[in-house]
Amino acid sequence: MIDKYAVFVPNLTNRAENFTSGHRACQGCAEALAVRHVLKALGHDIVISNATGCMEIVSSPLPLTAWNVPWIHVTFENAGAVASGVAAGLKVLMRKGKIPEKRIVSVGMGGDGATTDIGLQALSGALERMHKDFLYVCFDNEAYMNTGIQRSSSTPYGAATTTSPAGKDSIGQHTWKKNMAAIAVAHDIPYVATACSSYPFDLQAKVIKAVESGGPAYLHVLSVCPTGWRIPSHLAIKYGRLAVETGVFPLYEVQDGKYRMTADIPKLRPVRDYLSGQGRFRHLTDTDIDIIQKRVTKEYDKLISLHKSNNG
Amino acid sequence: MTKNKNKKLMRGNAVVGEAAIKAGCTCYFGYPITPQNQLPEYMSRRLVEVGGVFIQSESEISAINMALGASVAGARVMTSSSSPGISLKQEGISFLAGCELPCVIVNMARGGPGLGNISPAQSDYFQATRGGGHGDYRSLVYAPASCQELADLTMEAFDVADVYRNPVMILADGMIGQMMEPVTYDNYKPREIPPKDYILDGAKDRPSRIIKSLILNPHEMEEFNWKLARKYRIIEKNETKYEEFMMDDAKVAVIAYGTAARIAKGAVKRARNDGMRVGLIRPITLWPFPSEIIYRRAASVGLFFVFEMSAGQMVEDVRLALKGESEIYFYGRPGGIVPTPVEVQRLITRQYYQKGLI
Repeated sequence: MIDKYAVFVPNLTNRAENFTSGHRACQGCAEALAVRHVLKALGHDIVISNATGCMEIVSSPLPLTAWNVPWIHVTFENAGAVASGVAAGLKVLMRKGKIPEKRIVSVGMGGDGATTDIGLQALSGALERMHKDFLYVCFDNEAYMNTGIQRSSSTPYGAATTTSPAGKDSIGQHTWKKNMAAIAVAHDIPYVATACSSYPFDLQAKVIKAVESGGPAYLHVLSVCPTGWRIPSHLAIKYGRLAVETGVFPLYEVQDGKYRMTADIPKLRPVRDYLSGQGRFRHLTDTDIDIIQKRVTKEYDKLISLHKSNNG
Repeated sequence: MTKNKNKKLMRGNAVVGEAAIKAGCTCYFGYPITPQNQLPEYMSRRLVEVGGVFIQSESEISAINMALGASVAGARVMTSSSSPGISLKQEGISFLAGCELPCVIVNMARGGPGLGNISPAQSDYFQATRGGGHGDYRSLVYAPASCQELADLTMEAFDVADVYRNPVMILADGMIGQMMEPVTYDNYKPREIPPKDYILDGAKDRPSRIIKSLILNPHEMEEFNWKLARKYRIIEKNETKYEEFMMDDAKVAVIAYGTAARIAKGAVKRARNDGMRVGLIRPITLWPFPSEIIYRRAASVGLFFVFEMSAGQMVEDVRLALKGESEIYFYGRPGGIVPTPVEVQRLITRQYYQKGLI
């Protein structure tokens, strides 16, 4: 309901803009929006280790910066490792009394390439070591958008990218999207959640929960990319909602191993609603869409049954 | 110039891809990084048409090691990246050299260190020519200065890699990778390749083979290192390439490679128009370095003008080549700056007059 009364919204969230306007993201970028919401929820006592990617490039062309919080850019594959080092460094300085004792969250940030491909090893190490006050956020726009839309292991089945071109002999991306949240859950960490910038309150609530869980926590944020998905730039929010409403990207959280669905969707919309308007899926035939629908329904049912078994 | 119907206008990165396919490359493994993305993109479409395999790996480390795997299976294989990605590949390149496996590695270099930028730079010279990875090894390094040369050298690189069982690197930059020029692939003269009697492809009805670079016994390791060193001496003798331009009566020799050499050539032409006796020596192989010709020129040349798009890397090889026989002036523009021929000519002219060569 409150969504309808825009005037109240600023009162419900942190007013500080720690990811400021003037950065160079494309028009309609939902990833920049996601970063903004995550930072609103995180507050000032954080250190961000940001892997190479869209958000790093658009936000830090020297001598300019969009970040109002401590921030370091690190190699593509090492956001998890550097964030681990930051957490360890802060811990030892507090233990030795060199800096005052307080909660400073070490935040690793990366895109889907930096998280699900090249940075998976470092992230897995960080989650396995159970760093306290450690949060990793993956901003998933489903391809290497920064370098010109190359496929990643997070690119959904059937999507055309420049290195998974669609044509007579190729459907485009021919493997299913890697289930990164499930990989994080397999590390037995206190908090894992999926989120989307089309659901800002849900996103911010999950960030706060992630921090309160003590860490390590993992957040997988679907970030609609109009440029790479080939959609009009004013429709990013709509496609984020469609991804959730069709079950393509279900919103859920896993707290201490317990699954809970967080979006209220009485009945899923057909995936066609989500796929049809996107240029990257325009080549899909009815048969292809049926295959995707079956897979989405199957995966969604799995989550529902986990939710039911965990919540009576 | 006679008209060649087989000439096609192509972008540098795509030229490398097409040349590789013309040379029989069937496997390509890559990972996104600017400014070489058109190469994997081209390969993702084109390799399917010739029945090859394109895989976009999950990291540069995987890409180079997939290449190692394909190479040990006997396939002609290529991988490409740009500076930071090539840094990640170094362990794999060292293993290729240690296992004596052929592979072609393309570096469309950019400004550094760190993430640097995506502008053309020549700051990976040390990394490419000094091995880059660990251990006593060398990779042959080609430095093309045009799209046509990109085609010719890429095709030759596959043969050279197979003949010597050694990694070969193509070192260009974003400028050459991004620019479009007419190219023909007719210049390729395939070499005779020794039979690949080392590949791993199952061991039914024959003794199994082992490929490795772990040699714990230091005496054996030393012997292996000397064996590699002998191979590198042969490469130095047979594969050194360079171009001389207007060097016959030159008093000043400009030394530059790749993109810088193209700029330098323009500067040399302008200086010649002004009546100055200036020439250009352009190393085409950076390792092996054309030291001999540079040393020989010291007898007639008064000044060696080294121009690089770096803070000074190849200049050290020039210094070694000259053995103190002649003076060197260095002009460098690191960080992705591409100077104009006019700018370089102005500096050449100043040096020319200051040295009293007029």
